[in-house]
Amino acid sequence: MKKYIRKADIILFFLLVACGLAATVVLSMSHTEAGRSARVVIESNGSEFAEYSLYDDVSLTVPAPKQNENYNVVEISKGKVRVTEASCKNQVCVKHGSISRTGETIVCLPNRLVVRIEDPEGGGYDTVTS
Amino acid sequence: MTQSHPDTSGSRRSARIKSISASFVARVGLMAALALIFSYIEAIIPYNPGIPGIKIGIANVVTLIALYKFGTKDAVAVSVIRIVIAGLLFNGLFGMVYSLAGACVSLIGMILLKKTDRFSVVGVSMAAGVLHNFGQLLVAAALIEDLHIFFYFPVLIFSGIAAGILVGIIATLVLRSLKTV
Repeated sequence: MKKYIRKADIILFFLLVACGLAATVVLSMSHTEAGRSARVVIESNGSEFAEYSLYDDVSLTVPAPKQNENYNVVEISKGKVRVTEASCKNQVCVKHGSISRTGETIVCLPNRLVVRIEDPEGGGYDTVTS
Repeated sequence: MTQSHPDTSGSRRSARIKSISASFVARVGLMAALALIFSYIEAIIPYNPGIPGIKIGIANVVTLIALYKFGTKDAVAVSVIRIVIAGLLFNGLFGMVYSLAGACVSLIGMILLKKTDRFSVVGVSMAAGVLHNFGQLLVAAALIEDLHIFFYFPVLIFSGIAAGILVGIIATLVLRSLKTV
């Protein structure tokens, strides 16, 4: 056993932190304010289950792909989307809270549910370039 | 990787079995049991950081010790046995798949980093923590068939670093004391 911490460790540490920061920046940049055309896409088990406007008022129960009584309740109101109820153990999707910007996602792994906000007309730069 | 399979039918098989000594079986059994207890303790501690997939991974202390004290074969055996049994006992099959993916990636990383002989136990453990999370995220992305789950990546990098450092420090301390035994 040599030293507790060696030079390579420190380099690795900063590399990893830099990776994490870069990923954070990239991810937060990919989220833009949702425009009037924003859609809420609800996917179950990899295929689309339902789609709404972000400005609809909806409360929807999405059954999990694997029969048994698993489900998630997705609620859209006032331009915000959240999962209000889930049958899974970890309740991650419920604790995730509301999303309201394009590119944001709520995922429930046990029930294979993905809820995300998309803007078909593209926000900001995409509109300019197209 | 052949583990301690009791059946020794077939000549080719028995030749391979021969390379597994009784002391290996005993040693790995002991360490796997210890790692299993750590897994269990971690599973029953009711701490909930509010974000899933974030845990310390104390069981990796044992894997690190196996790796540094006895070598690659021991480390692989200990972690595979631990994960399979922990999966059957308390994590469920799903948890087992996630853990195996994470362990696979992190073991490869640990073994390679250790080979370079430039990193301390803490550094190796830190890389293992991040890689473990990365492996699990890959499985999650494959299961859900959606790369959007990578929004979760930064959180997992930072938690992996923190958990890895903590585990690495514990492993270093244990390895130091073990040397004097």
